[in-house]
Amino acid sequence: MILEIVLLCGLVLFSVAAVLFRDLLKAAISLAVASLLLGIIFFLMKAPYIGAFEISVVAGLITVLFIVTIALTKTGGDVREAKAASWIFPLFFVVFLALDFFVMRGLMGKIPALQGTPEQGAFGEVLWKLRTFDLVGQIGVIFAGVLAVLALFRKRDKDE
Amino acid sequence: MAFLFVALPLLVAGILPLVGKISKKVLPDLLANSVFIILLALVFFEGRGLAGREAAILQLSWLGEPLNIRLMLDGFSLFMLFAVSLVGFAISLFSVDYMDHYGSKANFYALFLVMTAGMNGLLLVTDLFQIYIFLEVAAVASYALVAFGLGQDELEASFKYLMLSAVASAFLLAGIVIIFGVTGGLDFETVSQSLRSLDARYVVGVCAALFILGFGLKAALVPFHAWLPDAHPSAPAPISAALSGLLIKVSGVYALTRVFLNVFGLTPALSTVLMYLGVISMVVAAFLALGQTDIKRMLAYSSISQVGYIVLGIGLGTPLGILGGLFHLFNHALAKSLLFLNSGSLQMSTGTRNLDEMGGLGKRMPVTAGTSLVGSLSIAGVPPLNGFWSKLIIIVALIQADQWAFALIAVLASVLTLWYYLLIQRKAFFGKLNERWSAVKEAPFWMTVSTVFLALLCIATGIFFAGAVNSWIRPAADALVKGAQTMLGPLGF
Repeated sequence: MILEIVLLCGLVLFSVAAVLFRDLLKAAISLAVASLLLGIIFFLMKAPYIGAFEISVVAGLITVLFIVTIALTKTGGDVREAKAASWIFPLFFVVFLALDFFVMRGLMGKIPALQGTPEQGAFGEVLWKLRTFDLVGQIGVIFAGVLAVLALFRKRDKDE
Repeated sequence: MAFLFVALPLLVAGILPLVGKISKKVLPDLLANSVFIILLALVFFEGRGLAGREAAILQLSWLGEPLNIRLMLDGFSLFMLFAVSLVGFAISLFSVDYMDHYGSKANFYALFLVMTAGMNGLLLVTDLFQIYIFLEVAAVASYALVAFGLGQDELEASFKYLMLSAVASAFLLAGIVIIFGVTGGLDFETVSQSLRSLDARYVVGVCAALFILGFGLKAALVPFHAWLPDAHPSAPAPISAALSGLLIKVSGVYALTRVFLNVFGLTPALSTVLMYLGVISMVVAAFLALGQTDIKRMLAYSSISQVGYIVLGIGLGTPLGILGGLFHLFNHALAKSLLFLNSGSLQMSTGTRNLDEMGGLGKRMPVTAGTSLVGSLSIAGVPPLNGFWSKLIIIVALIQADQWAFALIAVLASVLTLWYYLLIQRKAFFGKLNERWSAVKEAPFWMTVSTVFLALLCIATGIFFAGAVNSWIRPAADALVKGAQTMLGPLGF
């Protein structure tokens, strides 16, 4: 229980840090730590597939992409961190904890226990056999992303 | 066959960037436009198949093996598919000439088709999580389309849109997760039955609030509208037309209506919240529109205001209210796309969007002026155009339900609407011709064809409104009324 609370607090801390840091490198690393913690939480909650995805893709792959991009584009010079970061952060954290304590705890008590779902089964089976249409949608999202990159980083034509 | 609504645009979007290498303009134009013609034909085909039945669940199979892809087609989704295909066709026709100067046309069409696939998918899904996924498909494509011009404004608007849209998605996802936790299912049918058998009012309340926040942001209802007046004007004109005419209605209004009327059931409290949101959007956005000098910004605020009418009608929950709301949704899709396309013609010919700099352009661009007048009067609700009938139905429904205050506000907001649309007409097309524009020419051929097509549709829907209502809109309203009535009971009539 204590481990989970510590992990959750760390998750919130690093997530907020990722937003508040002005230095992109620090922000990217905070995000990676946050998703690492989230991955561990998933493992503890007996969702190993999600945990593995979270750690390998979000904490690993995406962080590498971020850091490569930052390294390639950084112009040099130190970034001064915002003053607001020093007081907004603790304030946000306290508000979050209070909200969590009063609202979410009440809500959790009201949610009935999960009934036996028709969607039980091995992860791969659920994905391929039960949620097939989701895969079509996911193909669409990836497609949209690729096309967006093609469109936004295109070379301008001569007549422009 | 219905799967083609999603698969065909995705497939063509996949080959378009390759086709673009071979032919920069003609082939992409042909491909994109023919997709929309096929989709339109498909709507009629599916409509005939559906005739007389309430809803059809379509199970896909592959080589005789049933796949787990189930699509639901009822009057409501068929009607929305019709609107998307029709307006989408006009928009892609307009893009033939308009998108020439942006370059990279094949990519543009590909993104537009992915957005269409996302919207079509959303219209056919049978469960809550799929709503979220197809919402994202359409949204991701639309972020790129808003920024397509690559200027400072476009990128800023796109970023703002992306951020607020991500917040909306987070709310929706949270709502869906809680629903899944409570009911153990995601299917509309399962969720709706479990929610009725469980006594979980508190949880349903929290989820309803999350969904209202999420879909409200997507539909740009007033407290959540901040992104729209930046995003819609910054996009290229055809995309402004698609966003205002289609996307906010599919990912905002359709999804909201589907979830609240068919899954949750419209409770009196929900009905009140939706009606107030509708009225506030209607009035506040109309006042904000009055102060604008940028024509596309004015149209964007007008979209928020008109979505207010739609939500007011649907939120009322009586059969007539839902009918009026849906009819207004269709009419607004036609007229607002027409007006955004016209603003694109104006911007292309004059190079400005500032109404104060225009003047007397009616003499130089008679077709644009004429079609724009039709669109403006239609949205403002002047008889015998289509917008008049839908607003009339909404107002009559409000009076029938004894909601006199709402009816009065709806009438007054309509007067405001007429005011700012006449402002557009006077400043842009009437008056003395500004010297600067003496060399301005009418818009190119395909752009004119597309706007005339939409203007004729506005007029025809107005004159033959009984036919339009009976063939497309009544089946759609019937699909929704059942969900509203089980909860609301015989209310006010």
